[in-house]
Amino acid sequence: MADKLRNSTRRLNYYLRIWLVMNKNAFMMVLAQKKVLVIFLTGKIIRFAFYIAFLFFLVKGAGSLAGYNSTQAIFFFLSFLIIDTTSQFLFREVYRFRSYVVNGDFDLILAKPVSPLFRVLLGGADVIDLITLPPLFFATIYVGGLLSPSLAEVCIYLLLLVSGFLITTAFHIIVISFGIITLEVDHTIMIYRDLSSMGRFPIDIYKEPLKSILTYFIPVALMMSFPAKGLMGLVGPLGIIISVGISVAALIISLRFWEYALKQYTSASS
Amino acid sequence: MNKYLQVFKISFQQEFAYRISFIMWRVRNILQIFVVFFLWDTIFYFQGRELFGYDREKILTYVFGLIFVKAFVLSSRAQDVSGEISRGEIINHLLKPISYFKYWLTRDLSSKVLNLVFAAGEFSFLYIILKPPFYFQSNPLYIVVFLVSICAAILTYFLLLFIVDSIPFWAPEMGWGGHFLVTVILVEFLSGSLFPLDILPITIQNVLNFTPFPYLIFFPLQVYLGKITGILLFKGLVISFAWILVMWYLMKRIWEKGLKAYQAYGR
Repeated sequence: MADKLRNSTRRLNYYLRIWLVMNKNAFMMVLAQKKVLVIFLTGKIIRFAFYIAFLFFLVKGAGSLAGYNSTQAIFFFLSFLIIDTTSQFLFREVYRFRSYVVNGDFDLILAKPVSPLFRVLLGGADVIDLITLPPLFFATIYVGGLLSPSLAEVCIYLLLLVSGFLITTAFHIIVISFGIITLEVDHTIMIYRDLSSMGRFPIDIYKEPLKSILTYFIPVALMMSFPAKGLMGLVGPLGIIISVGISVAALIISLRFWEYALKQYTSASS
Repeated sequence: MNKYLQVFKISFQQEFAYRISFIMWRVRNILQIFVVFFLWDTIFYFQGRELFGYDREKILTYVFGLIFVKAFVLSSRAQDVSGEISRGEIINHLLKPISYFKYWLTRDLSSKVLNLVFAAGEFSFLYIILKPPFYFQSNPLYIVVFLVSICAAILTYFLLLFIVDSIPFWAPEMGWGGHFLVTVILVEFLSGSLFPLDILPITIQNVLNFTPFPYLIFFPLQVYLGKITGILLFKGLVISFAWILVMWYLMKRIWEKGLKAYQAYGR
């Protein structure tokens, strides 16, 4: 038992070291082009400010959005951003995956003594998103504080955030698996982003059957809306169990699909 | 003229070379319309509610109008120009007996025709499943001015793209960055393609009205809905055409300077 634990810790350290090296390189590549970094950072900040202003003026004028006031609506948006930006920060390499398969470079990844999934999923973190994450966390904590949640509600919020993050991880694994089979990644990932952006607003704005589809079939609601609802005390024990259950199931299915896709890889481009 | 007709035909056929890519892009448009539709449908859920100067019929017409106006105005091939500059490929075109500007304008129009055909299909599909109330403009004057403002918007967007495309003349690595800032961020928010601009405070609206962005999407749709009349309609058209002249002049100057500074990296 102790040996197993020691081995796991050693393996975890091994992957952590690789992650640090890979992402140090990725950061240095971006930091070498400071003007580009400034432009993208400015763009992201402007977009964030525009969305917050839009939501504020919209809910101020309308009185409420699907029963939520402006603070709550902004909190939904911030929670969406936490999941979205964190996943973009960690999984940016997915956007480059197609070229690995098309150029045959994926063979080189498969030949290395590292999990290929780890390499293509986490191999190129985005420094621009890393810069935007701390202010985003502070904004979320500040706006969340205005909703006066209890300690239990904060814990539920964090649990549902983790659950949402597992679902977004599963989506990214499915996208790269599709990439191996169909060579199509760029549009698939953008469609995922369009689908996930439906969670930018409370899921209650959608009518049935779309609302159920977005909750259980393409679990955008569980990923983006449930955490914020959890903080507002609007998710019961059954909702928490469903959310965690679906996120774990999604991750298992995506890993199986990845294994299947790997078996379909023909190395035709190399 | 015939050579541009050939460019139009080839460009039209080229769009079909990447069919999945094109279809995926249109699917993305439908998803984006879904979000905007349900957002406004929720806000105008109660019958008879009037907000920001809209009733349910007019706001949902605005949302559905976005499908057509975006297909007309924002579908464009000219955004590929910056890539041609940064890769040095523009040299091939400059040596040919064809106007580079007209070449891309023709390719843009070809793309718009194709997108319009698909937009009509998407409109019908969404209309059948969402069954929104729709406002039909019956005044021929507004319909004519709406079409004129669409033409002005197409030219404005094309000139805007050509100005942004010129960045790689001086900084080849910044082509996509410039597009991200202008077409993805500023145009998306300030043109009215995400929300009608009249939800913003009047001071902000007044400032925005002197920029070219509202004349891309918001102004044409306001004209169609009959929300802009009389002197304001005239003023909007004047500003819109003034921007075309200003941007035409700027584009020419920038490209003259850009071509002189250009070192054709990659060739």
